Amino acid sequence: MELLDRYLQAVKFWLPKAQKQDIIAELSEDICSQIEEKETELGRKLNEAEVEAILKQLGRPLLVANRYLPQQYLIGPVLFPIYRFVLKIVGLCYLVPWVLVWIGLMTFGLSDRAQHPSGSLIGALASLWGPLWLAAFFAFGVVTIVFAILERSQAKSRFLEDWDPRKLPPVRDPNQISRASSIFELAANTVFCMWWVGIRSPIIVLGQSAARITLAPAWRYFFWGFLFLAFANIATSGVNLLRPHWTRARASVRLVTDVIGVALFCWLCKAGILVEISIPTVAPAKTLEIANAINLWMSRSFPIVFIVGVVIAALDVHRIVRVKTADTRPLRGVAAAGGLPQQ
Amino acid sequence: MAHSSETLNPFENLRLELRRGCLVLAVLAELRSEQYGYTLRKALAEHGMAIDEGTLYPLLRRLENQGLLVSEWREEDKRNKRFYRLSPDGKLILKQLLAEWQSMNASLNGIF
Repeated sequence: MELLDRYLQAVKFWLPKAQKQDIIAELSEDICSQIEEKETELGRKLNEAEVEAILKQLGRPLLVANRYLPQQYLIGPVLFPIYRFVLKIVGLCYLVPWVLVWIGLMTFGLSDRAQHPSGSLIGALASLWGPLWLAAFFAFGVVTIVFAILERSQAKSRFLEDWDPRKLPPVRDPNQISRASSIFELAANTVFCMWWVGIRSPIIVLGQSAARITLAPAWRYFFWGFLFLAFANIATSGVNLLRPHWTRARASVRLVTDVIGVALFCWLCKAGILVEISIPTVAPAKTLEIANAINLWMSRSFPIVFIVGVVIAALDVHRIVRVKTADTRPLRGVAAAGGLPQQ
Repeated sequence: MAHSSETLNPFENLRLELRRGCLVLAVLAELRSEQYGYTLRKALAEHGMAIDEGTLYPLLRRLENQGLLVSEWREEDKRNKRFYRLSPDGKLILKQLLAEWQSMNASLNGIF
């Protein structure tokens, strides 16, 4: 019976203290009855293998003990979908940008890579995993702790049961363009154009201080490029304001203008656009140092601008796919019943 | 995060769900006369309601905590055994549950 005692001991370990003896006595009695019945049937004592078979049929000690315990969870079924949603948001909005910026810095920023002990690109990228796991562990850990606390409060106050259907958000059509954002875009681009036209010259004089900023000859490309983009955005926003629903054509125009904009920004970062800064009260050596520092920091911000640009372009492509899918998908449910605007 | 029940085929899953509620009724009905765990299990199995010890004993505990059963430890055949029987509240609940079950059965027969 040593095997049986070992089994009961293992079950006992996981049981609540107050019920240990009682449960074990009852379980032991049941198993003994089973063994006894089998022995009567066979007309002999059971061997170890036969006892083992009975115990195996009963199940793993932890699982057997678990059936006596109240259902317990860190985050229950009510909050779990929200918890999973928040984890996805944390992953997408914190960890993914974190990884992209790191990869960008290590790929394009030679000075950042040089600061790394190995100095090589692969070595620098490989070293990402340590801090990444730490960041992921910390982010997910904090979210889990917050939700575990919420679960405890929810269990006590049942605050999730207090809700009002009238407070639910309105039905959302992802291809609908809000008029407020179109008006904002229109106004912002108009103001930008008015200001931009004023700095057409590559030599900028700042107010009464007589400070002069001299830009590189390539400035004219940026000037006309950004002006063209601003006009294109004004036109798109105007059409969006009148017809507030994304179409494939307009979504494609937005993708093209965004890609051109990002390309111009990337070029601007690397162009060394500041040639000279002249301030009457500051020594030329000092202003040259300032101009070089600004050019250097613009150059260093290139990876970030590039990654942000890739993300913007990806979102634009996603919008085109979404519009295309909406065009081809048969209408159903609320939309079919007239609840959503149709194209 | 798949539960073990989700890995069963749909029929088995639904059958277990259906059976879960009936088991409580069967246990309460069997305990109109006093029995201990092992004999109760055998009696249920003989009536086609086989139940493993890992399910039965926690269920008996829950029903006892709800005041539907009473139990006492007694020596029989030189071994200590825990005998269960319906409490007065248990008898009342069993009566109500049986009426409910018969009403559901009649409704289902009407639907079928």
